[in-house]
Amino acid sequence: MQEPLRVVHYVNQFFGGIGGEEAANAEVSVVAGAVGSGRALQQALGDLGTVVNTIICGDNYANDRFEEARVAIETQLRSLQPEILIAGPAFGSGRYGASCTQACKIAAEMGLAALTGMHPENPGVTRALPDVYIVPTGETSAEMQQALAGMTRLAVKLGRGETLGPAAHEGYLPRGIRRLYDRQELGYKRALSMLVRKLKGEPFVTEVPIHEPERVLPAKPMADLAGAKIAIVTTGGLVRKGNPDRQVAANATRYYRHSVLELRSLSGSDWEAYHAGYFNHIVNSNPNYILPLNFLRDLQDAGVIDDVYEWIYALPGVSTPVAISQQMGQTIAKDLQDAQVTGCLLVST
Amino acid sequence: MVSAIYNLALTTGANRVIRGARIEHVCGDPNLGPDKDYAFGMHIVRTALDAMCTAVTGPTLFDPLEQAAALEVAHAT
Repeated sequence: MQEPLRVVHYVNQFFGGIGGEEAANAEVSVVAGAVGSGRALQQALGDLGTVVNTIICGDNYANDRFEEARVAIETQLRSLQPEILIAGPAFGSGRYGASCTQACKIAAEMGLAALTGMHPENPGVTRALPDVYIVPTGETSAEMQQALAGMTRLAVKLGRGETLGPAAHEGYLPRGIRRLYDRQELGYKRALSMLVRKLKGEPFVTEVPIHEPERVLPAKPMADLAGAKIAIVTTGGLVRKGNPDRQVAANATRYYRHSVLELRSLSGSDWEAYHAGYFNHIVNSNPNYILPLNFLRDLQDAGVIDDVYEWIYALPGVSTPVAISQQMGQTIAKDLQDAQVTGCLLVST
Repeated sequence: MVSAIYNLALTTGANRVIRGARIEHVCGDPNLGPDKDYAFGMHIVRTALDAMCTAVTGPTLFDPLEQAAALEVAHAT
């Protein structure tokens, strides 16, 4: 039978039995054995581990004086040399979660195995990725037993130097690290099994989670076309000939806007397309294909619409990260609203 | 939004999607010759303006080709 692991428990002032909010400024201190919630941890560990020491750090101290806290924690860990540091669980407490994450990072930097537990929406989670192992827990300490069960199981593996498998199998929050491994079954068979389960209405687990796009409420229809001012935006990579603005051909971080006041049509002698995602030559001869200015001007002359907005917006819409697209969209939309544009044509390639 | 890859536009949540001709020439088709190219492009733009005057509850496709085919038949007869 293996020797019980040397475990150091890291807790805040409350779980360490020092006090409540009034003790949140408590500096880093160390006591022998398990205290407070550590006793439940020791029970969960059983023979597999012994909580030899507990490091207690006030939530405010950890967050406001983190440089000093860091030095103190480092010093303690260096002398205690645990085989595994277990921090928390912090549940839904934001400051405690951040404090636990920090403690685990310090341990990891020193080459010590470390693990914490907290609710998936605890702010401490965002700072942790990708270095720290976090076991997801409920929001309150009412779920202490379940949290400790999950944490001790993983802590023992980590303490023994075992490599953990994928997050979903082992029960920790995905860290965004991808490792290649053999699934032992050909892809088409796995796909078919998934499809059969889906058709039967049985649960199945996708291998490639798709991020759901946000749903946007449809704008109200334009009431009066003849009185409408129409703006044009293109992601076809329209640029002035020669690309004097030096817009990129892909992965754009900004758009450029151009004035088309008095302009009736886009000419291939003044404009071209610079877009890494499609064959640009056809648009180079007739840029109206991706920004239909000539049609809108003809419709304006015929009284079908009232006006074309003076500014057109252009970027190459290839490999644009969603977050950047959203920012650009919001800025353009604000411009159009301020200019009292009635409707906007977005032409995409 | 005018796009030749209209399914992608619909699944990513664009509410008024107008089917464009081809990625390389969204508003028209140079292969049709100048007159028909212009007519096609104008038809796409008009379909887009109609779409903006239409109430929708979620991603909706407006396909100029469905109407263009009807126009072709009318001109032929």
